[in-house]
Order: sequence, then structure tokens, then C-alpha cells
Amino acid sequence: MNSVFKSLDYARRTRRAWWFTATSRTRARFARTALGSFWLGLSNLLSISALSLVYGTVFKVKDFGHYVVYLGTGLVIWNAIAAALTSAPTLFEYNSNHIKNSNLNPIFYTLEEWAFQVQTFLQSIGLVLLVLSFFQPTLLLHLFTVGFLPFINLILFLYWLPLLVCLMGVRFPDLFQLIPIVVQLVFLLSPILYDKSNLGDMAWTADINPLYRVLSPLRHALIQGDFKIGQSLALLIVNLFGISISIYLLNRMRRHLPFFV
Amino acid sequence: MASTFTDTSTESGFNSLLDKPVLELYDVNLRIPVSTKEARSLKKVLIRSVTGGSLMRKEGQGAEIEALRAVNCIIRHGERVALIGHNGAGKSTFLRLVSGIYQPSTGIFRAHCSVFPMIQKSFITSQDLNGMQAAKGHYLLIHGSLRGFDDFLGDVIEFSGLGDFMHLPIKSYSEGMAARLLFSMLTSSQHECLALDEGFGTSDARFFAKAKLRMEKFIASAGTLLLASHSNELLRQFCTRGLVFDQGQIVCDASLEESLAYYHEFCI
Repeated sequence: MNSVFKSLDYARRTRRAWWFTATSRTRARFARTALGSFWLGLSNLLSISALSLVYGTVFKVKDFGHYVVYLGTGLVIWNAIAAALTSAPTLFEYNSNHIKNSNLNPIFYTLEEWAFQVQTFLQSIGLVLLVLSFFQPTLLLHLFTVGFLPFINLILFLYWLPLLVCLMGVRFPDLFQLIPIVVQLVFLLSPILYDKSNLGDMAWTADINPLYRVLSPLRHALIQGDFKIGQSLALLIVNLFGISISIYLLNRMRRHLPFFV
Repeated sequence: MASTFTDTSTESGFNSLLDKPVLELYDVNLRIPVSTKEARSLKKVLIRSVTGGSLMRKEGQGAEIEALRAVNCIIRHGERVALIGHNGAGKSTFLRLVSGIYQPSTGIFRAHCSVFPMIQKSFITSQDLNGMQAAKGHYLLIHGSLRGFDDFLGDVIEFSGLGDFMHLPIKSYSEGMAARLLFSMLTSSQHECLALDEGFGTSDARFFAKAKLRMEKFIASAGTLLLASHSNELLRQFCTRGLVFDQGQIVCDASLEESLAYYHEFCI
């Protein structure tokens, strides 16, 4: 575990560098657009509008305002998880030139990618919650009170699960093809477009769905203003364990990394 | 593992500093696994697992290349070491090993200072960023803060001669412009130990003369130097000791002239 602490210390010392390069990536991505990173939230809002109109009609929802908030919060959280997972398998391949020629600790690339995903998510959820506050004004208040720990849990989760996928992607390049399919299937199995009760006897599938287990507490806290402390603390422990084990595995793979990418 | 050198004011202190090894390699071997399709196929692994095979690839499976073999050497503070050998002899692998990019498969390797590799021309930041952002990212990575960044940036802009182009994305630069920026950034800092491949440099002919002088100053300022090159002239300019590599082994470790003579007599 000593190597995990050393890596975390390295992450702390280089935090300004990886945060900066991630920020610069976001800026570069929207450099030629008129609306800039505003697009991050806007694209989510467009999806939420279209999907809530279609599925609100399909499911014949009675309270449309509640459905928009339910779908919107779920979708913006899901998009963050999906984006982090789908970009993960090729992360080291994308940085292969640096991995083979510079002695930068590989954790730097994972932190930069994580920072990029977190920054993208923060901008998206900021705008989405602001607009959804029109339907439910308490959303932002809930985020900064009861939603804080579930939110932190999501941010931590966005680091370690993509890192595990990334490490597997180094060994098995086929994952690059597989992950988007799996993510799409899990999306359809997760109660995001529909309520969990719609699953009926299949509701257990949501309980064993790890992505939904992270998404659900945050959405619940945002909408209901209810803080499930036991669930959140358990998830925090899982996240801390996940971070430790993923960094440990990264360190173990470090010696092989230049030869696999 | 970095060490702090002290007591350099007296002659004895100076001598002990020079005697201090910065890099120690004892019987170091480096085997590079050849990544076969079979070994990396998810399908094959899954089939192996359901038919009683192991999910993990066992040690010893698949082909390996012996990139370095039984390497023994000690490099002391302030030494200027030339790495000599034909292509594929192990020079670049040795540079990568001492820089910490590769780790030895067996043997003992100790680095008592950080080794800065200058092996390939590439920016650490995305090519979508502009020159200013690339310089800032590089500086933050080396120093951890922006203290002194303005001086660094001024030096980079002045030496590279890029002017307002610093505000444009690097991907819009010509190869020469990108090389000038990278060269200016990398040679703006001093390093305790420098692992330099001759492939590194600038491809811009007009910039070459200016760059040559700066490179000389930069190399001279390095505490310890490891330089891999095919150019005897370049090696004679900067190095005093030579390590001759052949098939991943150090076959001669002597003064530069002796090493060059050995290389020309036995390795060509």
C-alpha cells in the first residue's frame, strides 16, 4: 500500500499541472465555437428536452414537471459516468508516445482525464440544475446540503472505475469495442428514463447495477432532499477501496505499461 | 530517490561529491515482452478461463526480447558519459531504464537523483493547445507552481522567436516552429542528470546555429550527462567516458577515446 500513498502524494504535488492541462483541453475543444463550454450544458438540456417529451408521452406521465426533473438529473449524471467509461480503454494508448519517452508517473494521465471528465460534468450539471430549478426550485439547495456526499461519491467513482477499465483496456484492446455496447445496455437497464417501479419483478436488476447504485443516491438527494447517510457512507467506503485498489493495480502494471501501449 | 548534496565548499567536500554515484546498476537485465495477439485477445483469455486455463497470463508465456543483459556500471556525479553502439545495441533502452521509463526485469538499479529524459520530440500537452498553454503546462509539471513562470515564458518566447504565434494552437505550427518551441521549453531549465538522445534536437536549419549554442550551454549546465549518439564529434565535444553497447551488453567501459577505438575495431 506504500506505493498507493506515494502515488497519491505525487497526485497532490502535480495537481496544478493535471488540472491545468485538463482545463486547457476543455478550452481547446470549444475554442472555435461561439458558445464555448456552454455547449456542455446545452447539449444535455437538448437531450433532456427531447427525451422527456418522447418518453413522457410514451409512459403517459401525470406530473410532467416531476418527470423532467427525474429524467434530467438522471441523464446528466449518467452522461458523466458513460463518458468517463467509454474514453477509458484507450487512455494509455492515446498517451503512448509520452509513456514510452517520458518518465512521468502514468497516474498523471489518469488524473488529467478524470479532471477533464469532472470539469465537463460540473459545467453540465450546473446549467442543467439551473434550468431544472424552474420545475423544482429546491434542486440547488439540495445539492449543496444533502446532496454533497452523494455528489462526492460520484466524483470519486468517476476516477476509479474508469481506471480499472483503462487497465483492462491496456491488456485487452477488444474492450474499446465492447465498453460502449455494455454502457448502452446498462443505460437501458437502469431506471433513468423510467421509474424503478416500472421494472416490476425485475427491480432487483437495478439493485445489482453498480452504475445505478452510484447514480441513484445523488438523484434521490437532489429531488427528495433526503440524505441516506448509511448508504452514502457505505458507498464512500467502496469508493475509497476502489481508488486504493485501482492505483495499486496501476502501480503494478507500470513496469509493463511502455510495452503494452 | 533524490539525494541532497552538501558540503561543497571545501576541497574534500567537492571530491566526495564527485565520487558520489548518481546511478548504480548491478547485473541489470531488461526483458521486453513481445505483445502477441494471442496473449492480448479477450476471446482467447475467456476461452482459456472456461476450459480451466488461467485468467492471468503466466510469467514466462509469450516471447521476450533481451534488451539489456547483465549491465553493470556506476555513474558518478558530474560524469559525462557517451553511449556508443549501432542501432538496436541498447543505447536508447539504457537511457529509458536510467530515466525510470523502464524498470529492470532482474538486477539492482539505484538512482540517487532524478534523471531527465530528452529522448523524443513531443509535447506533454495536447496539440490543440496554444504555445502559451503548452509552456504553462510544461512549467507546472516541472516546478509544481507558477513561481518564476514569467521569466521562463519570456525566455521561451524570445529564444523560439515565435512571437504572436504563441497564441495559436500548436497543431497549426509547422514542424520547425513546433521544434523551436519544444527545444526552447526543454532547455530553459537545469537538470541534475540529463539522459539525451542525439535524435533530439531541432530540425529547423535556420534555427540550428542559435540552438547549437544554447544546447551546448544546456548540456554543460547538467550535473551529470548521458549522451547517446553516432557522432564522434558530438561525443568528443561533451563526453569523457564511453560505454560501448553491443546486443544489450556493455562490452567496453573506458575513457571516451578508448571506447571509440574499441567500437571501431570490434563492433563495426
